[in-house]
Amino acid sequence: MQDKITKILKAIADPTRREIFHALVVAATALPITQISSQFDMSRQGVTKHLKTLEDAGLVQINSKGRERFCFADTKPLKEVNQWLKFYEQFWDDAIDNLGTYLDQK
Amino acid sequence: MKDLITKEHVFKHSIDKIWDAISKAEEISTWFIPADFKAEVGYKYTFNSPDKENCTQITGTVKQANPYTLIYTWMVADTNVETTVTWKLEKIEGGTKLYLEHSGISNYPGDTAVTMFNSFNGGWDNCITELAGYLTKEVHAG
Repeated sequence: MQDKITKILKAIADPTRREIFHALVVAATALPITQISSQFDMSRQGVTKHLKTLEDAGLVQINSKGRERFCFADTKPLKEVNQWLKFYEQFWDDAIDNLGTYLDQK
Repeated sequence: MKDLITKEHVFKHSIDKIWDAISKAEEISTWFIPADFKAEVGYKYTFNSPDKENCTQITGTVKQANPYTLIYTWMVADTNVETTVTWKLEKIEGGTKLYLEHSGISNYPGDTAVTMFNSFNGGWDNCITELAGYLTKEVHAG
């Protein structure tokens, strides 16, 4: 079984999926799959596949209403990945700062 | 969003001076983390002695160590997840360019990442603060 962060990174590794996700985030409301597929000039099947990957990563919620399925973006999972990266970003920035100070005195 | 952190920094110092700072245990211990380290391929290093409270231990193996590239694996205590840290130095006009890369961060399982992150955060802050304090003292003393 893939872990959560791997799923998230995989989901956002694809540019089309990022665009779809972005469109859903910007829309800030649930969009029907038919609308997304027309917006992206893609088959419904193709879009559904991408949405499924996003859903697996927890980035999109899909709910059925009547015959249509509605998609809604959830950005919470990104925070987990971001938190990680941010920690190490800061960590290495500090390290480089310290290295500079050290070299100045050496 | 990526599974890779890269940093570039230009120092006005000579390439050999920086190489020593990142590859010699005594120097690493001064500016970075208390280290048992040798820049030899296959050497299993330890950052932070296990008996030191509040400082998370890092272990790994040196993969490459020839001037001016240093690569080692980076494993945080109790995670069994291996990431890789690469240091590269390049001589440029008027100084040296440092290229630092930390890859494989997505190898951390989600839950572990969060738990570890929380405990680790405090630990590292302490280590870094200590180091910063040490450096400040050195500056004032010197």
